[in-house]
Amino acid sequence: MGLTIHYSPLPGLEKTGVLAPMIPVTFKNARREFSTIALVDSGAEAGIISTVIADKLNIKWRKIPAKSGFSIGSNFRFHPVDINAQIYDHKFSLKLNVVEGIFAFKCILGRKDLFKRAKICFEGYKNRFEIIFREFN
Amino acid sequence: MKQVKINIVKLLKGQKPGWVGISPDFKKILVWGKTLDEATQKAEKFKEKIYYFPAGESYSNFVGIIDYGINNTL
Repeated sequence: MGLTIHYSPLPGLEKTGVLAPMIPVTFKNARREFSTIALVDSGAEAGIISTVIADKLNIKWRKIPAKSGFSIGSNFRFHPVDINAQIYDHKFSLKLNVVEGIFAFKCILGRKDLFKRAKICFEGYKNRFEIIFREFN
Repeated sequence: MKQVKINIVKLLKGQKPGWVGISPDFKKILVWGKTLDEATQKAEKFKEKIYYFPAGESYSNFVGIIDYGINNTL
């Protein structure tokens, strides 16, 4: 299945002209579901969600030993979790990282999760990207 | 190939701070709540999938921006 998704402007960044590649995603943890819009980040080694989203999914992240990570801005503490996800018709499992102390909206899919599941072609000159999910037998 | 257009600025324009529930075609806000729990409770009456996103936030730290300034050059 292929999708063409147009980049979205972000509140607070309208004057900068910055547009972001965003993708709708539904996370599933046992019976809990949560749908949101994630940033597709080729610079992110792995995906992250906020503790607010993790709580909504009833992920007991406080019981998972914390690890340390780093980004361009700062270091952070995270708790890795295995979770299921769905993007339109494509379902897959992935390891996400629940990061402490970040903004509630933060949900990023990165190279170890989304980019392993799909061919993603950024077309910056058209302000859009194409995503084609791999088929697994 | 299916085309998807999401304009978060347009969707969230004029929204009070809190959480919104966005329709699956990303064209309208179906619910608003001061908290995520409030928004999800209000969304229970809808059968379609609802995408949740916070309103009233600045998303400037979502993506990396380098501001070189007017007088700076690379």
